[in-house]
Amino acid sequence: MALARTAPKKSATPSGPLLRHRTLWQRVKQHKFLYLLLTPGLIHLVLFKIAPVSALVIAFQDFSPFLGITGSPWAGLQNFSQFLQDPNVLRLIRNTVLLAFGTLLFSFPFPVMFALLLNEVRGKLLRKSVQTASFVPYFISSAVLVSIMYTLLSPQDGLVNRVLEAFGGSPIAFFSEPEWFRPLYITMTIWQTFGYTTIIYMAAMTSVDPALYEAAELDGAGRWKKMRHITVPSIATMIVVMLILNVGQVLSVDLDKVLLMYNPSVYETADVVQTYVYRLAFAPEGFPDYSYAAAVGLVQGVIALVMITVANRASRRFSDSRVF
Amino acid sequence: MSTRPGRPTVFGVVNGALLVMIAILCLYPLVYVLAVSLSDGRAVQSGDVTLLPVGLNIETYRYIFSTPRLGILRALGNSFLYTAVATVVAVVLTYMTAYALSKKTLPGRGLIMMLFVITWIFDAGIVPTYIVNQRLGLVDNWLIMVLPLAQSTFLLIIARTFLEQIPSELEEAAAIDGAGQARIMTRIYLPLSTPAVATIGIFYAVQTWNQFLFPLIYLQDKALQPIQLVLYRLLLSSDSQAINFERIVSNDHQILPQNIRAATMVCAIVPILAFYPYAQRYFSKGIMLGAVKG
Repeated sequence: MALARTAPKKSATPSGPLLRHRTLWQRVKQHKFLYLLLTPGLIHLVLFKIAPVSALVIAFQDFSPFLGITGSPWAGLQNFSQFLQDPNVLRLIRNTVLLAFGTLLFSFPFPVMFALLLNEVRGKLLRKSVQTASFVPYFISSAVLVSIMYTLLSPQDGLVNRVLEAFGGSPIAFFSEPEWFRPLYITMTIWQTFGYTTIIYMAAMTSVDPALYEAAELDGAGRWKKMRHITVPSIATMIVVMLILNVGQVLSVDLDKVLLMYNPSVYETADVVQTYVYRLAFAPEGFPDYSYAAAVGLVQGVIALVMITVANRASRRFSDSRVF
Repeated sequence: MSTRPGRPTVFGVVNGALLVMIAILCLYPLVYVLAVSLSDGRAVQSGDVTLLPVGLNIETYRYIFSTPRLGILRALGNSFLYTAVATVVAVVLTYMTAYALSKKTLPGRGLIMMLFVITWIFDAGIVPTYIVNQRLGLVDNWLIMVLPLAQSTFLLIIARTFLEQIPSELEEAAAIDGAGQARIMTRIYLPLSTPAVATIGIFYAVQTWNQFLFPLIYLQDKALQPIQLVLYRLLLSSDSQAINFERIVSNDHQILPQNIRAATMVCAIVPILAFYPYAQRYFSKGIMLGAVKG
């Protein structure tokens, strides 16, 4: 990525003799307009993207909202050593890693397989309708989805438990059993996102030249051979890109969903680093510990940054694709 | 893609059946909620409602819209306002920044882009963000739903990549014809970038309508809360019986908390699904651009 360059004397795209004859004044005016356009965006960048990163200094302070960032006393690395001694820390890390990698393991391959199967459907109507249906859940918020699941899985009158009872089982209180938290979370994540991801894969598949398939058929290639040697390679780049995006974001669990499903009876499995940060800073009970919460968040942010950078490097090495 | 019509194969039938089943699983929860919202409370409680409403009635909707205590009507109004304002502000802001950054001759373009990407992949976390937003006066202020999320780096990259692919000869030709900078942007580039503008607009609209964490943290004032938070409150109240719903009977139909929750869910789903047809049309174009070439 190039750093700031000095204003070019000549237009960088010499695509016409007229351009080279522009006066200096015109070029300044041209950039003036662009800088004017850019001003609101730059203010936004500073206020809402850069300022929060600088506010991370409170992780090294004993921050008090009354004293502010400039008035609060420094605490060195005390908040970080507190994190290492926190009795919750092992549980938090275990839960975060299990939830994140469980989600990646199950939700990543699903859209790839779905797109491959969908691509094999010959009837255009069927293909369009299935794809249309699969994309609807992307629009459903976590608050709505958790409410729906709550209704469907209610131990008293939920449909799922009535089916269980009909088959002689006993009702399960899905939302207060710790061992059900991860399966529920992962299922909901797949439901919400796979249709969206499928669109991306399908778009890559449709860009394949149909002549390739025809040539393969002439050579006697069957369905599987065509899929393996033409369709899969056509989306390989996209699979790598999506994998990198997923690995990079692996530690940022969907806080909305966890908070919506969060209650003390499932803390054993549902308490992840981000919800712990949320509880430390915003829980209705107790005095908020901003500095400690920021320190815990910073540890997570740095680990996530390392992971996405490594993933991006790796993909640059193994294919031409990279995300940024 | 094999689009030739032919004799159905075993694979084709099994595959089709499997895909139809997945499609049903995607839609069924929504159909179920709609059915519950239109059913009689007694039928819901006895588990008779599975696909179609039992004891079809609209009393639940009449009840939630005529009971200000629940705050549903006001919350819907808030959500509409936030989504409309946030989408317009975010699209204009993102488009302006993307347009400027799409000009390769702009000095400083690389540095600015780098700052966007760095702050994108390094998440400061909810606490430092809160400290900043609090200093900006955004606690219990509805602008929290508009301002902080008005410039997503991901969508900025999508828009910029799209704009970069518009041939610069068009701009040069227009400049020769005497069109000014602003005119070139609004009259030439804007109409050509409809797919990108539509894509980012839909993303912003869905993001704002479905936003949960920001109102949860920042909007304690009930008068400002959007529909997603009301849904959360209903979920909590059914959990702890904090709000004790009286047994409501309206026009001989019983209304249970389950009905109320289902009807509220329907209200939270329907408006955003209105964007769906446009999303399907523009998404594949829009997303591809940003994802591959960003």
